[in-house]
Amino acid sequence: MGATLTYENSFVRFIRWVYAGVDRTIFMGMKFTFPGRFVSPLGFLGMLTFILFIILGITGALLMLWYEPILDRAWHSVENINDTIPYGFHIRNIHYHASNAMVMMALLHMYYQYFSGRYKIRNEILWVTGVILGVLTILEAFTGYDIIFSERAELAISIAASLTNSIPVLGPQMREAFFGAGFHDFILRFYAFHVFLLPIAMLGLMLVHFPRFLVFDVPMVMAISGAVMLTGGVFPVGLGLPFEPEVPPGITVPEWYLTGLYAFLRTMYDKFTTGVAWPGLFIFALLIVPFIDRYKKFSWKDRPIVTAIGITSLAQIIVTTYWGFYIDPDRNKALLERLVIDPIFFYTVMILLVPLSFGFTYMMIKLAKNAEANAKLQPKKASKGSINITQKWLYVIFVTLLAFQVYLNISAYYAVLQGMNNWSLFIIGIIMLVFAAMFHVYRYGRTRAKAPPPKPVSPTPSRPAAAPTPAKPAPATTAGEAQKPMAAPPTVTARVSSEQMGQLAQQQKQQQHAASGGEADGSSNTAQTSSDHSHLTSAAASKEGQDKKGL
Amino acid sequence: MAQTPPAIGGRVSRRDFLKLMAAAGTVMTFTPFVDWGKFLPNPVSSEGERAKAELADGTVANVNTFQVNHSEVIIYPKSEDAVLNQEAFRTWQLIRLPQELGGDKNDASAFRAFSMICLHLWCLWKYWPEEGRKRGECPCHGSMYDPVSGLAFAGPASLQGPPSNVLPKLDLEVDSNGDILILPPTWTPNANGVVGYGRYLNV
Repeated sequence: MGATLTYENSFVRFIRWVYAGVDRTIFMGMKFTFPGRFVSPLGFLGMLTFILFIILGITGALLMLWYEPILDRAWHSVENINDTIPYGFHIRNIHYHASNAMVMMALLHMYYQYFSGRYKIRNEILWVTGVILGVLTILEAFTGYDIIFSERAELAISIAASLTNSIPVLGPQMREAFFGAGFHDFILRFYAFHVFLLPIAMLGLMLVHFPRFLVFDVPMVMAISGAVMLTGGVFPVGLGLPFEPEVPPGITVPEWYLTGLYAFLRTMYDKFTTGVAWPGLFIFALLIVPFIDRYKKFSWKDRPIVTAIGITSLAQIIVTTYWGFYIDPDRNKALLERLVIDPIFFYTVMILLVPLSFGFTYMMIKLAKNAEANAKLQPKKASKGSINITQKWLYVIFVTLLAFQVYLNISAYYAVLQGMNNWSLFIIGIIMLVFAAMFHVYRYGRTRAKAPPPKPVSPTPSRPAAAPTPAKPAPATTAGEAQKPMAAPPTVTARVSSEQMGQLAQQQKQQQHAASGGEADGSSNTAQTSSDHSHLTSAAASKEGQDKKGL
Repeated sequence: MAQTPPAIGGRVSRRDFLKLMAAAGTVMTFTPFVDWGKFLPNPVSSEGERAKAELADGTVANVNTFQVNHSEVIIYPKSEDAVLNQEAFRTWQLIRLPQELGGDKNDASAFRAFSMICLHLWCLWKYWPEEGRKRGECPCHGSMYDPVSGLAFAGPASLQGPPSNVLPKLDLEVDSNGDILILPPTWTPNANGVVGYGRYLNV
C-alpha cells in the first residue's frame, strides 16, 4: 500500500461517525446542493427567505433575553436594548432589517414561482403552503413591530384588534380569545404570537413546503446577510415615541408591506370589507391559482391570461403601497381631508389598472416572442450569456478583493476602538458582501482549474504527446465527487479562450527550452528543472521533459 | 339469517342511530354547564362609586381653573395597578366646550368626557381647539367628532350605523369645591355606551 493523502485522527473519525449517523435521519431525504458555479438566485429565493428566517430566529432569541412584554415597560426595554445593552443596537437592527428583507424575499419568491409556473406538476401543495407561509411572515413582521409599543405600534395594535372585532358574528369572541380585552393583553399575546405560535406554525409549514432539492449558495447567502447588515448600518431603525395615554399620537403610517391595506382602509368604506374581506379575497385568489391555471406550458410567455393577472396584481400592489404612504403634507387642512382617499377615484384607478396591465402583458409577450424568432434567424453567437475572464484578470480581481477585505477589516477594527456604532454594522455588511464576491471568484477560478484542458490545437500535429495531461487527476476528482457540484459547466471546454491556449503553448515551449538547456549545461541542472516542473504542472510533464531530453 | 349488505350509500342501522342519539343527548345535556369561553378573556373589573376626574399632573379637574375650549386626558376607571392605567381603553377626553357652545358656564354642563377610542378602528382621537376646527379628529383614518354630543359627523366612523357612530361618554357632576366627579357608569349602548363600540344618541 502506498502512502495515503487522507489524514485520519480520532476527531476526523468522530466526525465521520456522526455523519454516518445522520444517514438515519430525515436530512438524508433532502438533497442539498452547493453549486459549483454561479446560478441565478431567482431559483433559490425560497432558500434565502429561510436563511433570513434563521437569522431572525437567532437575533430574536437574543432580543428575548432583554425585552419585557409589559404595557408600561415594553418601549423602555427596547430603548434599553438599543442604547445600553452591549451589541443590542446591532442585534436589533439586524432583526429589523432582516424582517423587512424576509417579507421582500418571500414576495419575490412567490412572484418568481408564479411567473415561471413552478406550482404546476404536483407542486400545488408547495404553492398553497407557501402562500400561507407568506401570510404568516407578514403577520410575524407585523406583530414584531407592534410589541415595541411605540405610538405607531399602539395604533397598529388598535387597528388589528378592531379589525378582528369587526368580523361578523364571531369577531368579538375571536378578538377576546386571541388578543384579550385590553392593551396589556394585546401586548402579551402579540408577543406570544411573535416569538412562539407563529414561528412554530411556520416551521411546521416549512417541513411541508421544502422541496426535496435545496440549493445552498454560499456567496448569495453571504451577500444577503451582508446586505441586511449594510442597510442596518446605513438606516439604523429608530425607536419611535413611547406611547403615553395622556399624549394622543399624530398621523402614523404602517410598515411598507401594510400600506397597501392602509390605502384601502382610508377610502372610508366599511372596515370589515376593506380591512378583512379584500385581503382575504386576495389571499384566497393566490391559494387557488394552481387549480385554475390550466395551461399546459410553464413559461410566462405561453400563459398569457395567468401572466396578465399576475402583472395586474403587481401593479395594484405597487400603486396601493405608494398610495398608502402618501399623505397630504398641508398641516392646515383637516385630518379628514388629508387622510381620506376618494373611494371613487381609488377604485377607478384599481379597475383601470386591469386593462393597462393586460395590454402591457400582451405587449411584453409579443416582444419576447419576436425576440425569440429573431434569435432563431440569427446565426448563433458563441458562448452566449457567459463572461470570459482570463486567468490573469481573475488573479487581479481576487487580489483586489483581498486587499479591499484587509482594508475593511482594519476599518472595522478602528470602528471597534471608537465604540461600535452603526458604522461597524455597515462595515460588517460590506465585509460579508466582499467575502461573497471573493468566494464567487474563487469558486469560478477553481471550476476553471478543474475543467478538463482543451484539446491541443498545436501547430505541429506531429507531437501530440506534448499536450499536458490533466493536472493532479486523482485529488481533483475525489474533491469534485465529495461536494457534488450542480453539474459540470457544459460549455467549459468551449469557453477556454484562445489566450489560454497561447499560455499552454508557451508552457510547452518553456518545457522544451528547459529540457534543451539542461542538455547543454549538465545533468545537475536538469534535475532541478524537472523537479520544478513536477512542482508546477505534474509528474507527467516532468517525465515528458525527461523523454524529450532523451530524444 | 339475512345479513344486511355492506351499505355503501350510508344506510345507518337502527342500533347505530340510537347510539348516536344517546351520545348527542349526553353532550347536549352537559353543554350548558361548561364554562364556554370564560378561560381566555380577562374578567371584567367592576367600577366603584363616583370618582374624581384626576388629570395627568395629579390634580383634580376643577371648574374654576379648567380653561374654556380646552381638553385634557383622564384615565377612568383609575386602577391601583400602574400598568392598567396605561391602558388606552381607559383614556377619556375631558373637554371644556368653547364659549359659543356654552363652555363659560361654571357647572357640569360646560364639560364633556368622551372615550378616546375612535369608533372606526380604535385609534385615539383628540380634541383640536383651533379656530375653525373645535372638534375631535382621529389621526388614523380621519373620523371627526362633535364635542357636544360625541356624534361622528364626518369620516369613516360617521358612515357606521348606530350605535357605532356616537362616542361613549361619562356623566359628570361638580361638587361644592368645583371639583369634577365622574358618576358610576353603566356600560350598555343605551346608557353610557360601550368603549370601542358606541352609544345610542337619545335625544
